[in-house]
Amino acid sequence: MKADRFEDLSGVRCPLNYAKTKMLLSNMESGQTLEIILDDGPPIRNVPGSVQQEGHVILCQEKQGDQWNVVIKKV
Amino acid sequence: MVQLTDTQLDRYSRHIILQEVGPEGQEKLMNARVLVIGAGGLGSPIALYLAAAGVGCIGIVDADVVEISNLQRQVIHFSSDMQRPKVESAAEKMRAINPDIEVNTYKIYLNASNIQEIISGYDFVLDGTDNFATKFLINDACVMAGLPFSHGGILRFDGQTMTVLPGHSSCYRCSFRQPPPPDAVPSCSQAGVLGAIAGMLGTIQAAEALKFITGAGTLLTDTLLTFDAKNMHFRRVSLKKRSDCPLCGENPTLHELEEGDRATCDLSA
Amino acid sequence: MEIRLNGESRFIDKVTNLSVAGLLEMEQVASPEMVAVQLNGEIVDRGTYQNTMIVDRNEVDFLYFMAGG
Ligand SMILES: [Zn+2]
Repeated sequence: MKADRFEDLSGVRCPLNYAKTKMLLSNMESGQTLEIILDDGPPIRNVPGSVQQEGHVILCQEKQGDQWNVVIKKV
Repeated sequence: MVQLTDTQLDRYSRHIILQEVGPEGQEKLMNARVLVIGAGGLGSPIALYLAAAGVGCIGIVDADVVEISNLQRQVIHFSSDMQRPKVESAAEKMRAINPDIEVNTYKIYLNASNIQEIISGYDFVLDGTDNFATKFLINDACVMAGLPFSHGGILRFDGQTMTVLPGHSSCYRCSFRQPPPPDAVPSCSQAGVLGAIAGMLGTIQAAEALKFITGAGTLLTDTLLTFDAKNMHFRRVSLKKRSDCPLCGENPTLHELEEGDRATCDLSA
Repeated sequence: MEIRLNGESRFIDKVTNLSVAGLLEMEQVASPEMVAVQLNGEIVDRGTYQNTMIVDRNEVDFLYFMAGG
């Protein structure tokens, strides 16, 4: 599955990674998908949950090495 | 399309991650034009927080220069600013906090003949003045222009503030009607103020401006928020838009701005 | 009688015919000109303080003028 937008947020700390994610989502259409790369630790523990709280859907979240691939569907 | 640079995303990240603000709210702040009247006790925290928040264009009005007695509470001015125009001192600090913003300075006293021109073009006005004549003048000019504003006043350990959306909510005159007679206004010896009170009230006013611009939450409309910091007692008094208000009522008697007596004990000052 | 004054319950005994002017005096408001009085949500006209009566269960708010900035 290929997402509509992709952003590598590895090395971006909290909460800037979440701010960037919100910025990207706000410039997308409803129903479009965004794939992001997040570091393990605080980023993966915080960003997907915060994204969900604003109503977006996490389509998948999988670990690849010491990073995570997260696909978000904009509400 | 919200366009923020990486630096802006970083600078405003604590706004952007707020659900009620977000990138859209931050963009509204960056496009907003806000006028702060008075660069004194209230105007200091107001101007600092609006600048830090990234409000795109901030006007600041004050005719005075910085004096040593100001420094106890007017935290935007430093000891090294003595005798400088307050607007100049304030603008320098605001630009130092946030080089992205535009600051317009007005080193003048507001009166019935200049206020309309100065407030026009702004989206929101904050009253941080130190005398009743100007407080009523700001209320009247903003109501006539349909311009939302925040009223604020402090005395000793107390503060009060309300937000006015002209045409929709109660104005300052709806409750307070007209300035008190000058001989009833506290004399200098009675008109002390605990420095931090100015910060407490000014930051509430600044928060109202940010909420108005971003649309977050509910405003202090039809509500007088008062506090007595001696006992740290806060209270909200419900107010109503009065049909008999001389300004915004059904049969208004005030059709043009009044030139009041500005001279009071020099509180801001 | 019991009234709410500035949001707090107050019992007032041994007073009959309490006017707004009387309440201001009882509360030792030094300069009534520096207060707007709201009675049950309505602003009381200054000229009527003497003959506006406060009765049981009334809600009274003193709104102080504050000019400092
Ligand atoms: Zn009114």
